[in-house]
Amino acid sequence: MAVPLAVARAARHPVFNPLVWTYTYVFRGTPLLVQTYLIYYGLGQFEAVRQSWLWDPILSSAWWCALIAFTLNTAAYTTELLCGAIVDTPKGEVEAAIATGHSYRARMRRIILPSAFRRAIPAYSNEVIFMLHGSVVASTITLQDILGVGRWLNGRYYLAYEGFITAALLYFIIVFAITRVFRWIERRYLRHLTGRETKMDAPATPEPTR
Amino acid sequence: MTEPAALKIDDLHKSFGEHEVIKGVSMEAHKGDVIAILGASGSGKSTFLRCINLLETPNSGDVYLAGEKIRMKKNRHGETVPEDIRQVERMRARLAMVFQSFNLWSHMTVMENVLEGPVYVQKTPKAEAREKAAALLAKVGLSDRADYYPAHLSGGQQQRVAIARALAMDPDVMLFDEPTSALDPELVGEVLSVMRDLAEEGRTMLVVTHEMGFARDVSSKTVFLNKGEVCEEGPPAKLFSNPETEQFRAFLSRMN
Repeated sequence: MAVPLAVARAARHPVFNPLVWTYTYVFRGTPLLVQTYLIYYGLGQFEAVRQSWLWDPILSSAWWCALIAFTLNTAAYTTELLCGAIVDTPKGEVEAAIATGHSYRARMRRIILPSAFRRAIPAYSNEVIFMLHGSVVASTITLQDILGVGRWLNGRYYLAYEGFITAALLYFIIVFAITRVFRWIERRYLRHLTGRETKMDAPATPEPTR
Repeated sequence: MTEPAALKIDDLHKSFGEHEVIKGVSMEAHKGDVIAILGASGSGKSTFLRCINLLETPNSGDVYLAGEKIRMKKNRHGETVPEDIRQVERMRARLAMVFQSFNLWSHMTVMENVLEGPVYVQKTPKAEAREKAAALLAKVGLSDRADYYPAHLSGGQQQRVAIARALAMDPDVMLFDEPTSALDPELVGEVLSVMRDLAEEGRTMLVVTHEMGFARDVSSKTVFLNKGEVCEEGPPAKLFSNPETEQFRAFLSRMN
């Protein structure tokens, strides 16, 4: 979802750019908790929403509301960081593509986006971790997330440390796994950005980096 | 009817704001010509080159490639714009460019850089393109670097890859925009020697350069631009031994 938005924003499209800007501004300017409440509690206030076909399967369910809020929120952040990466594509590389005869679409698809995605990986891994931590918000709208279970344990059995430490540990393990995955991705896709020194002494035949 | 010039530029003008950088330059390159374009910095020589493949849009003037004119029109703000961007893209594919700062695509390997144009612009089958790319890399002496990323190569190697990338398009005319200016002095030679080979093969080339030796020994015609105008042009032997204008004489003495 963030990809087309970021492209529209980076291209300074006269219609979409202000729309996307407003969207990212609103969703980055307000806390995730507020957004979740607005969608879960707020939308239900409207008769029209309750009557609509969306109500029954989706908007009355806490799980869907949380998912929508999280998606909109993380997409807003991702749009901005991807847009930044697109704009930062070295101008010369874009010119080289123009001079080769690439159309705008081909330039985007072959040169700008592949390059921008790669450069956005480190920032995006942060965003994923923030989102994971943000998921505690779900426990406030009746969903049982990791922290929610910890709280339930505490409330029910006064097992404060057990529940919360387990929750913290679980988060830690998940984050650890995520960082490992991103490290692997970075090694694979950001090889071209690693310094030249590491490679210059290498033998003439290509070798896998480190 | 005689064959039309490979590239013809007719009365090209280009301004940035109020400042007119190119004040009506015309030029003609026939097949096999190597035209060296000299000039002090700020003389508009790079801008002129970039106007040919429309990296900069000229304010007026026409560019013909093998007799076909790049059609331009005025938009509603009175600016000159291409009439048909597809035509421009087609023309650009026949006018390969080599940049001062190499501009290789950094996220692609050397091989992928060379394959990109043939495969994704000209739609050459991959196997065929790969074979040709390997031959071109051998020609610029970089067969053993095919799987390297540009950042892992020296400047001279990068520029040679850029030349291979340009050659892969089978261009009618090659445009070189100060190809050796960003290189360390000891790396200039390897790039010039590749360009020399291309000239000997009969490639049509327009070369903006500060390399007097290259202009004198390799070019079939040398053009000296001064303040956006052609100041002096002709066969290099004549131009270098017997400069007619004061400006060119001054330029030569500054360069030596």
